[in-house]
Amino acid sequence: MNFWETITGSDLTRECRAFEARAEALPPEYRAAWEQIKVHLSPHSDFTGRNLMPILDGVLGLLEEAAADGQSVHDVLGDDINGFCTALAGGEGARSHRGRWREKLNRNVAKKLGRLGG
Amino acid sequence: MDDLTEMLKGTLEGCVLHIIDSEETYGYAITRRLNELGFADVVEGTIYTILVRLERNGLVQVTKRPSGLGPPRKFFALNDAGRQELAKFWAKWEYLSSRIDMLKEGGR
Repeated sequence: MNFWETITGSDLTRECRAFEARAEALPPEYRAAWEQIKVHLSPHSDFTGRNLMPILDGVLGLLEEAAADGQSVHDVLGDDINGFCTALAGGEGARSHRGRWREKLNRNVAKKLGRLGG
Repeated sequence: MDDLTEMLKGTLEGCVLHIIDSEETYGYAITRRLNELGFADVVEGTIYTILVRLERNGLVQVTKRPSGLGPPRKFFALNDAGRQELAKFWAKWEYLSSRIDMLKEGGR
């Protein structure tokens, strides 16, 4: 990754496009699962989404392997895609957008209260 | 048996370590092994997340091998740290199961 890519994130766009090309080759039910996984993983993204790239790459690999084996998506992922994504992103305590917002809110409220002498 | 998932959760990682210890293997085969044992609810995705965690924690050695069809498969073998972790798992399991048995045998 060179400086230009770091600043513009152009390497990410390219990587995303490569992922989508691979996803295109999957059977329809796998493609649908892929769309869902992306949605469920997005709250675990850091600011640029760079942290998700290796995870997405691995998941695509899993889907590709499983599709080649002829398994159904349900055999692979079960009912709990959200739980699967949370586990992938590093467990329940994974730092997510929502978690950071909550922390910030708590901090701000505490600050305000402190200033009011509450 | 239904609804085993919650109880199984904490021990699944140890089970996966044990399976990998007996021979180098891959995600799908591990899932099948557990299904055959009677854990029908275990899906490949669950095993995949465990394998990712084992890799991240440096307990396994990963080799990519070409497969007959589709992309190359990732094969997993335990390294020394993994074998130590497995020994710890069995020690904890012995402790837990012996205590629970005692509770059950003790009546009341």
